[in-house]
Amino acid sequence: MTALSLESLRSAMEGVYASIMATLDEEGMPNVSMISQVHYVDPQHVALSYQFFNKTRANLMATRMAAVQIADPETFAQYRLDLDYIETRTEGPIFETMKAKLAGIASHHGMDGVFRLLGADIFSVRSIEPVAGHAIPPRPVPRPLLAATRATCAAMDACTDLDDLLDAAVVTLHDRFDISNTMVLMVGDGARRLFTVASHGYPRSGIGSEVAFGEGIIGVAAREGVPIRICHMTSDYGYGASISETARAAGLVAGPGRQIPFPGLTEPGSQIALPLMSGTDCIGVLFAETPEPMRFDFEMEDALATCAAHLALRIALLQRDEPEADDPEDTAPPPVSGGGALRFHPLDQSVFLDNDYLIKGVAGAILWRLARQHAETGRTDFTTRELRLDGSLRLPAHAENLDARLILLRKRLEERNACLRIDKTGRGRFRLNVLCGLTLVEITD
Amino acid sequence: MTFRTAARPTTPEADIRAWTDQSALRSGRVMLTPDLIALAQCGATILLAARTAEGRPISAAAAACRALSPTRLRIIMSRGAGKPVIDALQAGSRVAVTFTGSNQHHRAFQVKAERAVITPARPEDMPEIERQGLLFCEGLAEIGFTKELAAGWLFADTEDMIAVEVEPERIFTQTPGPGAGAELRP
Repeated sequence: MTALSLESLRSAMEGVYASIMATLDEEGMPNVSMISQVHYVDPQHVALSYQFFNKTRANLMATRMAAVQIADPETFAQYRLDLDYIETRTEGPIFETMKAKLAGIASHHGMDGVFRLLGADIFSVRSIEPVAGHAIPPRPVPRPLLAATRATCAAMDACTDLDDLLDAAVVTLHDRFDISNTMVLMVGDGARRLFTVASHGYPRSGIGSEVAFGEGIIGVAAREGVPIRICHMTSDYGYGASISETARAAGLVAGPGRQIPFPGLTEPGSQIALPLMSGTDCIGVLFAETPEPMRFDFEMEDALATCAAHLALRIALLQRDEPEADDPEDTAPPPVSGGGALRFHPLDQSVFLDNDYLIKGVAGAILWRLARQHAETGRTDFTTRELRLDGSLRLPAHAENLDARLILLRKRLEERNACLRIDKTGRGRFRLNVLCGLTLVEITD
Repeated sequence: MTFRTAARPTTPEADIRAWTDQSALRSGRVMLTPDLIALAQCGATILLAARTAEGRPISAAAAACRALSPTRLRIIMSRGAGKPVIDALQAGSRVAVTFTGSNQHHRAFQVKAERAVITPARPEDMPEIERQGLLFCEGLAEIGFTKELAAGWLFADTEDMIAVEVEPERIFTQTPGPGAGAELRP
């Protein structure tokens, strides 16, 4: 029989069944308990959840040995792992991944607040033995993940601009992986915040809603640069509170009304957040969730991580390939009817159309700059290059996400059915269509 | 003699209180209290651990437990699945057994002893395997497991059973929370 590989046992490490952990004290007296998580680290290592100071912990520190028994929830096959303790980690990707998973497990068992991760104990695996007993053959996979991955990557390859690419990503994940709710968030302004630029399956798109680094599983995935997956509903990873606090602390929010609500499910059963990496930098997050629990397993994580990696590459490629158009000629403004007031608050660069909040930050500054120029010169056609070169917009030094901000702006205007629109007119070019008489008001707060 | 029915504690402190409340039943000996005996025989998850000849820890799960008396537990398990533990116990290893009530909100306790006695399974063990198996599955169903998942974990070949008899020398609460692992002293 071929030796068992740890990698082939990952489904037994999903935490569906609690695992068994045995240790010895210095006198050889055994101790046995259930353990919430045996986490796959790599083909030679696992991490166990350290939740309490107890006999298991004391034994581990004294003898540095453990045995765990894990069970595959589909085939019922069980395995014994003989382990040597290496170290305990209290931060970093493995710790955060396990912490998120534990929050889901704890919530599922009604043990919120009792199950708390103190550390991730890293072990090397000395041997793997199957436990004698019955096992049933695995069921055929209903949706071959490799085929879905290939189709998703191909759909992304067919997109020639960022706008289409982001929409294709969220729609194809729904169509090919049967994931009900998906979104893409991009990092903005170098301020360690993410904003939603595309979503699918929600009653409200939530375009423009923000998530801080470290907030919810999306923010943790962005901060740590690793996928974060939760298989059960938990209240530990909500969105909304901390971003408001962050914004208030930074003096960015004068009062209510300048936040776009995060569109996520109120009772998600399964969630996964995959960082979009450019080298070692996180440029965004691909997020998926469903109401059903246990929807995303290791195999699904592999497939979605491959899609996320491809998406990150395509984003980088499209942004690099974008040719810079020459500055277009000014054109006469089209006839307008009706009227509205566009108000700009320089403090947080927020823009309101009449009394409706539209957008803030860099996207707000861009909109104000375009509207002002339009009012002064009648100009409607613009280029991304001139925006990059405009110091008044306070773009970060490497404004790779300018295109994402324009997409955000375009979608916000479209969603609000506003009387001004942004339309793409070519690579690196876009048009501001003003369909009503606009009065521009700059508010000095 | 009548026993006061112990409330179903869900914290280690409550376990200790329940233990103390029933202390009048004991006479300085390590004896299981009625509520612990009930927990052990009501479809609990039963886990054993021992030390192998090579000095490594090893574990196995068992199918059922019969309390022969407040001082002697008979644990019935699969000979095949439990072989490394049975081998270790036959070679003289000390033993630890943990019982976790699947329908009592993670309430758990652990017993330890210097040795265990391995005996063949007996016909009267078999109905207990079935009865406790059903309770175990019901407990798992309460926390959201499908019948299939619960039964899959439990599957036991009744032709391949063996019994491990243990006289607890020390007892510990193992309910999760602050104080978990505290010894329940006579």
